Amino acid sequence: MSERGHHPAPLSPVERRVAALEALLTERGLVPEGFIEEITRRYESEIGPLNGAKVVARAWVDPGYKGRLLTDGTAAIAELGFGGPEGDHMVVVENTPDVHNVIVCTLCSCYPWPVLGLPPSWYKDPPYRARMVREPRTLLAEMGCPLPGDVEIRVWDSSAEVRYLVLPQRPAGTAGMTEAELAGLVTRDSMIGVARL
Amino acid sequence: MSTPLSLSGLDLPRRNGELVFESPWQSTVFGLAAAVIDNAFGGDREPFRQQLVKAIAAEPGRPYWESWTAALEALVETLPERPVP
Repeated sequence: MSERGHHPAPLSPVERRVAALEALLTERGLVPEGFIEEITRRYESEIGPLNGAKVVARAWVDPGYKGRLLTDGTAAIAELGFGGPEGDHMVVVENTPDVHNVIVCTLCSCYPWPVLGLPPSWYKDPPYRARMVREPRTLLAEMGCPLPGDVEIRVWDSSAEVRYLVLPQRPAGTAGMTEAELAGLVTRDSMIGVARL
Repeated sequence: MSTPLSLSGLDLPRRNGELVFESPWQSTVFGLAAAVIDNAFGGDREPFRQQLVKAIAAEPGRPYWESWTAALEALVETLPERPVP
């Protein structure tokens, strides 16, 4: 019988480091059984941009909710059951015909996790973090989001204290759509501010 | 409050973007950081965030989850030898 397939590929250096961390932290009793599987499952199937999309759709159909969302993002988002004990302060910034908002985290990867899930890889990369602050109009155009010269671009740098979420403009021609149908139109990138709907 | 939305018929989060984790070690180290934050820092993410900022600044071109791993290693260094019972 062949040995092929019985030996998994050797671990890469970073895989060995993670395995060592897991062993150490488990030995210290800091990793309850099943914890990692559960949190991975949640981020892969529950916590993601759909949460943010539901927030946006509700704001589009309910002016009262939209007002609360722009006044106190944390509380309004919690109304829909999203958020957590982390204590992050959520600020929602509204796109208008004259103003386009985009979020970035220049220092690390601060991101509105409860409503967008984990950040996409480009959001965490140095070019995005540096260029979105320095030349947002150019970078947005390169990312497929060219903006007319008279549209003001506001760049919001996330921090430990504040996480931003963009409220995109409701697309034209959607007057007859239900809230759930509207939520289906809202993309992650539009809530980061690197796309328009 | 209006009626809750139904999730049925909508895309799963992973399809409204990109895959969350590219390989198992990434989800493991993500979960390990969450466990340490919850169980050693009472849910306070700031100490880990500061380590992540430092790790990224130290090697800006390093892949994100490797910086995350380095940040967690540095944070674990700050823990007392034995857990508080």
